[in-house]
This record gives sequence, C-alpha cells and structure tokens, in this order.
Amino acid sequence: MYIELKNVNKKYGDFKASDNVSFSIEKGKLIGLLGPSGSGKTTILRMIAGLEKPDSGQIIIDGKVVNDVPASKRGIGFVFQSYALFRYMTVFENVAFGLRVQKADKKTIAPRVRELIKLVGLEGFEDRYPSQLSGGQRQRVAFARALAPNPQVLLLDEPFAAIDAKVRQELRSWLKEMIAKLGVTSIFVTHDQDEAIEVADEIIVTNSGRIEQAGTPIDVYQNPKTAFTSAFFGQTAQLESYEAFKSFQEVGDYDKAIVRPEFIKITKKNEVQKYKSSAVEGIVERVEFRGNYIEFTVKCNGSVFTARRELDQEPVSVGEVVDVFIYRIFVTKGNEVRLVENSALREESVVI
Amino acid sequence: MAQSTRGQVVSREGTGQIHENTRGSKAVKLLLIGISVVFLVIMLVLPLITVITESLKKGFAEYAASVTDEDTKSAVQLTLQATVFAVVINTVFGLCAAWAVTRFHFRGKKLLVTLIDLPVTVSPIIAGLIYVLTFGRQSAIFPFLEEHGLEVVYAVPGIILATVFVTFPFISRELIPVLETIGTDEEEAAAMMGAGGFTIFRKITFPHIRWALLYGVVLCAARAMGEFGAVSVLSGHLRGKTVTLPLHVEILFGDNKFMPAFAVSSILVVFAVIILIVRSVVEYIGRVKKNVH
Ligand SMILES: Nc1ncnc2c1ncn2[C@@H]1O[C@H](COP(=O)(O)OP(=O)(O)OP(=O)(O)O)[C@@H](O)[C@H]1O
Ligand SMILES: [Mg+2]
Repeated sequence: MYIELKNVNKKYGDFKASDNVSFSIEKGKLIGLLGPSGSGKTTILRMIAGLEKPDSGQIIIDGKVVNDVPASKRGIGFVFQSYALFRYMTVFENVAFGLRVQKADKKTIAPRVRELIKLVGLEGFEDRYPSQLSGGQRQRVAFARALAPNPQVLLLDEPFAAIDAKVRQELRSWLKEMIAKLGVTSIFVTHDQDEAIEVADEIIVTNSGRIEQAGTPIDVYQNPKTAFTSAFFGQTAQLESYEAFKSFQEVGDYDKAIVRPEFIKITKKNEVQKYKSSAVEGIVERVEFRGNYIEFTVKCNGSVFTARRELDQEPVSVGEVVDVFIYRIFVTKGNEVRLVENSALREESVVI
Repeated sequence: MAQSTRGQVVSREGTGQIHENTRGSKAVKLLLIGISVVFLVIMLVLPLITVITESLKKGFAEYAASVTDEDTKSAVQLTLQATVFAVVINTVFGLCAAWAVTRFHFRGKKLLVTLIDLPVTVSPIIAGLIYVLTFGRQSAIFPFLEEHGLEVVYAVPGIILATVFVTFPFISRELIPVLETIGTDEEEAAAMMGAGGFTIFRKITFPHIRWALLYGVVLCAARAMGEFGAVSVLSGHLRGKTVTLPLHVEILFGDNKFMPAFAVSSILVVFAVIILIVRSVVEYIGRVKKNVH
C-alpha cells in the first residue's frame, strides 16, 4: 500500500471533522474521495498534504509515517479547489515556481516548464497572468504547476467544481488520461457521484467525518455496505412500506426501503409484460425529458419515486395509470443494508 | 484581480460611481464642492501661504540664515533620525503583528488588535508622561538604566520612543485587511511545492502587500515628522540636542522670533509636500499594478 491512513482523528474545536478514518491506496491508482458537503473530504486531503495535523492516528506514505514531516517536505502536488494560482506571476513562472524553489538546474527548468505547458495544452499562454485566463485554463495551469516538481502523490480538491458542464466533461477524461500516462498516485475530491464513478479507479465514500465504504465504482454502486451508501448512489427514493409491493419475502423489522430508478419497471396498460401478477398500479405525477431518456415520478402505494423509460418506448403522460414492478430493494436496519430481490424473478429462473 | 492591494485606497475609489438620482441635483453638487473648497482654502491653503510669505518677509538671505542655523540643522537631523527609526521599527513590528493576527489562531488575538490601536486613541501627551514615569528618575528601572549609561528621558532615545509609539498602528493597520483578503491559498500552494517560510513571504505574499506597506510607510513617516505632544514631554527642550523641528518652531515662536519660526515651519511644509507627492505616486502605481493583475 502506498498511502495509508490509520485511525486518523481530527477535531475543529468540538467538531469532529475526521472520525477514526482508515483507508489505504495502491501505488499509481486514481482515487475518488466522494461524499456530501461538509463530510470531511477536504480535511482528509489537507492532512495527507501536511497542511493540517491530525489529532491522533497515523498517515503513512511509501512506508514512512509522515505525521511530523512538514508539507514542504512531503513531495506532494496539490491542486486547490480555488486553484490558488500565484496572481503576481505569469503562467510560466507559476509552473516554474516549484522547480526554482527546489533549486533545480537552471538549464533544465525552462524545458521542463515548456513540456508541462505543452502537456496541458497551454502553449502560447506562457506570459499571461492568471486573471487573463478562463476557468478551465486556470485549472490546467494549477495541474501543471502541481506536477512540475515530479510529485509522487497528487491531491486534487474538487478540481472541476468551478468549471461549466461541457468543459468539465472534457477535463474529466483529460485528467484521467493524463494521470494514467504519468502513473502518479492521485486522490481527487468530489461531491459529484457521476464524476467519481466515471473517473476513479476506486471510490472512498465519506459521511460525517467517517469512511462509509471503499471499493471500485461498480462495487460501491452495486453493493452498498452501509445505510448511507445505499441511499447516496443513484437517484434513490424511499418507499413508505415495501410490503405493499407484491411478491417480496418478509425481512422482519427494518428502517428504510430504498429503490433506484433502475430497480423499477414501468409498463403501460396496453403493453405486454412478464411480471403482470407481481406488479401494482401507480399514477404518473411528473414527466421530464432528460435528453437521451425520459424520467418521471410515479406515486404508488403512498410512495413517490423516480423511474425511467427509453425514448423509443411509447411515451407516458401525467395522470396516466401504469403498472409498476420492482425488481429489488435495499432494506436498511441500523447501519446494515441488505438487497432484497423480488421473488417473482427467482420463480422465473427456477422454471427455466 | 479585483481584490487586493491597499484596503483604504480601494474603498475610497469605490465610492465614485453612483447613479444620477441618488447623487442629487446640480445645485447640491456645486454647494457641496463649494463648501469643501472654501473650507480647504481657509483651513489649509491660507495658512500655508502665510507660512511661506511670513518666512520670506525679510528677504531670502534672512530666510536662508534661519534655515541653515545650527539649531535648525540639528532639529532637522533629529526629526529625520526619529522618522527613520519610527518607519524601520514600525515596518518590522507592523509586518510581524499583521502576520500574527491574520495567519495564526491564538488566545488574546482581539486584545492584541485592540492594543495596536491604542496609540491613536490615547493622547500623545499621556503617552509622553507614561514614558517619563516608566524611564524617569522615579521609575524602578532607572537605576538599572543609569548603571548602563542609558538615558531615555530628556534624550534622543526618548524622542525616538515617543515617535515610534504614536506611529505604532499605521503600518499594521494597512497590512491586516490586505492579508485578510488575499487568504492563505497561495501561501499553502507554495509550501506544498517545497518553499520555506521566507521564500513564501518574499515571492508570494510580499507582491500582494507591497503597495499597502509603502502606503503605510508614507503615513507613518508623515505622522512621525509632525509629532509634537509625546515628544514635547520627553524632550526637555535641550537646544541642539533633543529639539525636533516642531519643538524648534514652538521655541522660536515662544521667543517672539516669528520670521525664523515661519522659516523653520516651511521646512516641515516642504517635507509634507514631498510626502504627499510620494503618496500620490504610490497610489497611482498601486492602482496601475492592480489593473494589470
Ligand atoms: N478550519 C476549520 N475550523 C472549523 N471547522 C472547520 C474547519 N475546516 C473545516 N471545518 C468543518 O469540518 C467539516 C468538514 O469540512 P471539510 O472542508 O473537510 O468538508 P468537505 O467534505 O470538503 O465539504 P465540501 O464538499 O463542502 O468542500 C465541516 O463541517 C466544516 O465546517
Ligand atoms: Mg471541501
């Protein structure tokens, strides 16, 4: 393991910003630190960087406990949420700063800076000041600047937060490629689950200062291990009572029943369907066009949830009565979560 | 970028652009400008003209004689000496205090900020008296000072001390708001790249506070040259030794030597004009720089 946090705690006054945080990261991986606002993502990043000191616990990088190593000696590149470009320096000087500070050979500085500026696609902008750049360009300068001293670890705090949707999409793929090419172990913070799922090799989910779950995007999405993660990923909705939906086996006492749009099949009355006997009726409340699919909310057995249909399917309209079949449900009890399959699916497979 | 350089100057510029309706009619405008101009003429321009004309009344030779008189020369020297000390000491102190207040969390920060402002709220005379009590004959540390041959009261160190005291807040007060607005992001970014504290200050922080610092220095120098109250108490008025320019003017005036008093005053006026010019240049360059970045 290249980076390891062991039982790290951090308080601001009485507030626990990090609560017994432990995780480990392999060399060369791109990790997404994902969680709601205020869940302690930045705090974790700043402690790894050395900008904040943990109250207890160990931070280990490359086999060494670095708790007492100052930020300037950790050899970590950091891309700030606000970019924190040096306003009084040109793009060139910003990128060159780390090399100059480390007294790199004068002759090697200029070629290295040129190389990085080329890498991030900002040739011709060397002599501009940060205020003369667009948000996306600033982000790239911040990235080049952090990479210039050849860090072993790169930390990025919400690198795309201040950038508009289209450019963000481009920058995401660009960043993923770039980091794969350089092979630098990286952690990026985000509160956008799509971003984390799309970019990260592995996702660490934070909530109220704790680590909820860590794993590959598929793993954390498909197999949530805690009540929080099961409700966090996807466009989830809570059912009033899952017993009202047909052919689910009894699970006994539970707190919440959670569904995602992909757990739900909506069939119009005039369409054929496989699980007619296990479906219940619902009323369409709202229909929204989402570009490549139709999203709508259905009220059914007193619960309201979101479902989807493809564009090539016959459209549904508001007020229409439709059949609702639920494939599976996450059922939580305390912090435990369990996936409950509709038994109609099992009967099917037994028959075949 | 919009935020930055000099807190004071920035806010002053900001008041220029108001909508016609809120600004009021032309008559109001003329009236307000008129009042300001008349006030300035009566309060400032007339006295300044008087100083110049009075000092030149008996011809230039007499003027030159009073200005180059030994006592005057020593007063100029002492004033400049006290000013240089005040500026240097308060620059160092101001940077330390502003840095501490904006970059660290500690107990008693509010108290420190309040104490920094004390010299502007306490009358200079009282400040002078406090120093007389602290370092004078009746003080507990006087024997120690005497033993080591340190004279404070009625000596040059006392003058410098008093000048430093009254100009205490000027530089830190200019720096604190600027350091607050720039935040710590850039400094942290520099630290992450391996820069040490001094490099960070020199390369990252200093460019942000440069003009505020210079502006503070100008204000500090102006105030130091004109200081009268605290210095008067600590000086003892030993001619040629502990008399600064303002004290010298007072002594001459008290001896009914009006022409020389005005002549010496004109030196202070010249200093003031130089400082005003420097200040305007600093403001101007600061503004131009700010627009570039
Ligand atoms: N310097 C500080 N002093 C006091 N409280 C702080 C400080 N820094 C962070 N906190 C608190 O710690 C908690 C976690 O903050 P942190 O910045 O790590 O959240 P985050 O997950 O990065 O959130 P966001 O997504 O909004 O950036 C927040 O509730 C915040 O108010
Ligand atoms: Mg954050």
